[in-house]
Amino acid sequence: MSASDLTLAEVRPAWRSWLGRDAAARVVAGIAILLVWEFTVRMWAPAFVARPSRIIAMFPPVILAPELWQAAGATFGAVLQGLVIAFLLGTLIGVAIGRLPLAERFLQLYVNGLFAMPMVAILPLLTLYFGYTGDARLATVVFAAIFAIIVNVSDGARAVPPEYIEVSRAFRGSAWSRLFDVILPSSVPYLLAGLKLAAGRALIGAVIAEFYASVPGLGFYILYNTRSFKHNEAFVAVMLLAVVGVLFELLLARGTARFLPWYRRDEARD
Amino acid sequence: MSTAERALRADARIRIRELGKHYGPLEVFRDVNLEVGDREIVSIVGPSGCGKTTLLRCIDGLIPASSGTIEIEGEKVTSPLPGIAMVFQHFGLFPWKTVFANIAYGLKLAGVPKAEIDARVPRFIKLVGLNGFEHAYPYQLSGGMQQRCGLARALAIEPRVLLMDEPFAAVDAQTREILQFELLRIWQLRPTSMVFVTHSIEEAVLMGHRVVVLKGRPAGVFETIAVDLPHPRTRATLSYPRFSALREHVWTTLMDEARAAELLLQR
Repeated sequence: MSASDLTLAEVRPAWRSWLGRDAAARVVAGIAILLVWEFTVRMWAPAFVARPSRIIAMFPPVILAPELWQAAGATFGAVLQGLVIAFLLGTLIGVAIGRLPLAERFLQLYVNGLFAMPMVAILPLLTLYFGYTGDARLATVVFAAIFAIIVNVSDGARAVPPEYIEVSRAFRGSAWSRLFDVILPSSVPYLLAGLKLAAGRALIGAVIAEFYASVPGLGFYILYNTRSFKHNEAFVAVMLLAVVGVLFELLLARGTARFLPWYRRDEARD
Repeated sequence: MSTAERALRADARIRIRELGKHYGPLEVFRDVNLEVGDREIVSIVGPSGCGKTTLLRCIDGLIPASSGTIEIEGEKVTSPLPGIAMVFQHFGLFPWKTVFANIAYGLKLAGVPKAEIDARVPRFIKLVGLNGFEHAYPYQLSGGMQQRCGLARALAIEPRVLLMDEPFAAVDAQTREILQFELLRIWQLRPTSMVFVTHSIEEAVLMGHRVVVLKGRPAGVFETIAVDLPHPRTRATLSYPRFSALREHVWTTLMDEARAAELLLQR
């Protein structure tokens, strides 16, 4: 066996193929959709209805004014904060459910139930507890995000190959080391899947909480502008939400390729 | 086993007495007596399902025995003891760790200071011939190289007992042969107490100072064969008439069992 036997496999990040392949097709489809939209609104809709040409014209003033950024800061700040809480707490609970039969027996049913339930349903209740405040939004974000993480991490913790546990035991690893050196790293792919799902749910939770509780943020910005017949301004904020959603996914994919080079490879082999 | 053999060997590092293991009503093996010297390689062969891997896991303290005792340097084994290393058939490398980190793993758990780990790991990387692959991940390595890494991880803690669980069963035939001689070479450099479980008769005879044949249901030590082949063993050893004779002997010993098992399957 010589060194030349080994081929260092190149990790191809998902985001690169997303931009590269079919780029032309994507652009053409995008333009077509915008044209249909523009045409439809011009033909049949009242003047205040948003249409692409107006939205584009509205971009510079909206982007230069502080209101949008204040709103965006509030919303994304709450989403980030909520995601961090959901990530830490969700990972803890997920590992417990995945590795401790007792925790699984007690909690699995409720976690599955709450994961399936639309979290906005409890938003009115949360406003009862937290008032019509940013806290209600944060609570909604945490609730919306955490179950996606718990469900995925518990699956991951359960699916740790027994060989790894055996190696840890054979080398006299403590329970602590087993958690940090084996169970958590082995669950990372599941955790990332959970995080991706949780991020989307967190954004939805934040925006809806702002709609309902009138808490300053992008959701409220959209609601307020829509009700004041400023549809084009509202749409700029919608675009911003969409862009951030996509950016988060790209970031996750890029971070995975960069910091977890073993993981995408592992996935490709399965 | 004769009384003479049962008498305590002065150099015995592993002492197994009347060891038995059953899972519920299923008895895997019973009354296993075995001593392994401090610079001895004992091969264990047996038909598949005879419990040789279970026996090895009992020695490592990963599985509790049902009866009897195992002592390593006088200490009773009830859970994994310090200074015992195992090389697994499934390699057991962590995919998220580089070659370096995988090899450092056992040292880290043993509480070796980081500075010493950084000094020691490269020596073992070199010993197993993985130079240049320190920062590669397991998926970037061939099966043979992965097992070199697994071997280095076990050797790095400078174990008093090295347990080999069919270590080369999952690599291709040529690589397997290369690794066998590599292991013999390394053992010459750092002799230690080694138990080598394999289902390959040839491998058992080549590696072992003694070959223990496990056989029966429940299994027991059917025969212990002293392998009087000279050291160091090399590729040339394979062509010695004595090697063939020993291989045939072990084969015949196992043969009846294998044939009986096959007949059982046909029925």
